[in-house]
Amino acid sequence: MSDMLTEKEVLHVARLARINLTDEEVMKYRIQLKQLLDDVDKIKDVKIDDDEQLITPIDEKAVLRSDEAGEMLEPEDIMKNVPVSNGNFVEVPVMINE
Amino acid sequence: MSKYLDLSIREINDLLKKKEIKPIDLVEEAFERIEENAELNAFITLDKEQALKTAKELEDREVDNVLFGIPIAIKDNIVTKDLRTTCASHILDNFIPIYDATVIKKIKEKNMIIIGKTNMDEFAMGSTSQTSYFGAPHNPWDTKKVAGGSSGGSASCISARLVPLALGSDTGGSIRQPASYCGIVGMKPTYGRVSRYGLIAFGSSLDQIGPMTRNVYENALLLNVLCGRDENDLTSSHRESEDFTRMIGEDISGMKIAVPNFFISDIVSDEVRANLEAVIELLKKRGAIIEYVDIDYIENAVTLYQIIAMGEASSNLARFDGVRYGYSVADPKGVDELYALTRGEGFGEEVKRRIMVGSYLLSGENAKTYYAKALQIRKAIRDSFLKTFEKYDLIIGPNATTTAYNLGEGLDDPLKTFLDDVLVIPVNMAGLPGMNVPMGFGKNHLPIGLQIIGNKFDEAKMYKLAAFIEKELNLDLDPREVR
Repeated sequence: MSDMLTEKEVLHVARLARINLTDEEVMKYRIQLKQLLDDVDKIKDVKIDDDEQLITPIDEKAVLRSDEAGEMLEPEDIMKNVPVSNGNFVEVPVMINE
Repeated sequence: MSKYLDLSIREINDLLKKKEIKPIDLVEEAFERIEENAELNAFITLDKEQALKTAKELEDREVDNVLFGIPIAIKDNIVTKDLRTTCASHILDNFIPIYDATVIKKIKEKNMIIIGKTNMDEFAMGSTSQTSYFGAPHNPWDTKKVAGGSSGGSASCISARLVPLALGSDTGGSIRQPASYCGIVGMKPTYGRVSRYGLIAFGSSLDQIGPMTRNVYENALLLNVLCGRDENDLTSSHRESEDFTRMIGEDISGMKIAVPNFFISDIVSDEVRANLEAVIELLKKRGAIIEYVDIDYIENAVTLYQIIAMGEASSNLARFDGVRYGYSVADPKGVDELYALTRGEGFGEEVKRRIMVGSYLLSGENAKTYYAKALQIRKAIRDSFLKTFEKYDLIIGPNATTTAYNLGEGLDDPLKTFLDDVLVIPVNMAGLPGMNVPMGFGKNHLPIGLQIIGNKFDEAKMYKLAAFIEKELNLDLDPREVR
């Protein structure tokens, strides 16, 4: 078994995560991601019979809050942190191919 | 220079009530201390102007609670309205929140004064705070050593006596481990005890905000303020508020305390084990009953953490896309490039590593092989802890396997950061409260901390034991005297 992922494997994982990597990073992650994934693989050897899962450690029943209008944020405040805007619109590149 | 910040919070409160000092005296002293200790790099953003303004405004107000006018530092992953909140990341280095986290509202209601935002690992991912975009904070006991992480800046500024109070957050030990390395008291409350609204999410089923302080009593005072149901966090508990100081000073004889065998195994260094054994002897002598137990699957907790925390992180950090806030790459060719370049340039190495592994572990069939199985084992760990608490009041062990190590060590080893947290992660898996109280020093006079784990919502009992140990050991925990 190789102690490195292939370049293609790293780029696949980076694509899943929507992260662009430099060539140097790809090289580094070929080793580091392999180390991490090998470590995580230890879980395959753990024996467990009970198939009940714990997603969150809260015992209380989740209740929804009442459907009432509460404190609101102002649109102009929300827009303050938007990188590219046009009035009260958030600008993004074209998403649908023409 | 005045030395009011060396007094206990009770003493400061008396002086404020008698009008012998004003809140501004405390704020000015805090900033003098911070400036003198700039090399610690404990803060990312300071808020001197607003802090002085708030202190002035408080001069005409009645001193109506014990934390009134006390300077407090906030970990930089907790959002503060109009005060930059970076998560120690390039991707948020210009982010000015437009609302306060629930804990910040509570702190402001009690008229504590926010001094600034503390340094940390980027997105709280790390065990040394060295993944910070702003450089690592240093350990006040030896500035060549790490402060621990991820709440390293909060631990460093409390240890160095820059401010008396700080907030940290703990996903896999990030309050307890730096508290251990820096010789302070840190509490990770029961999951659900403190609202997470406004805590920038890392691992949502693990994260908790908690207090970091110089001593046990003041820690309990701060937790008193932070708790309570919050309509904005549906995982917050409906439990009534309580006074966490109420059991401090009570006799500990007859307390039943469990020590997991894993916590004294050979993963723990000799000096840490020796300190723990000394505490065990002390407790026995004072009438506590100590027994050794096994917690099922505790040795697998790091693997579970890798899967669950990285999985949750990959999902939580999907929101950083360069669209609504934060860093955004200029002139992208299409939306795919906007996301990928923004995230590639905005996130640091550790964060990218974790998001990629998390995305992979949750993709396709892997979700079943890894994530679903991790949740099964997580259930078994929690059940085993809860069963232990049917027989015992508390569980103890160390928080860290060693004392603080050198800055720069282990940076290229993607596994080290997880192994540093091998003793603290099980608590997050089970959603239980865990804390650090200093129990001694190693050979280089670096602090060693005791971990106390309680049953769910049993924080008051933990403070009782911690206060007893603190009083009995009476350690000199002021690093200014050794530097």
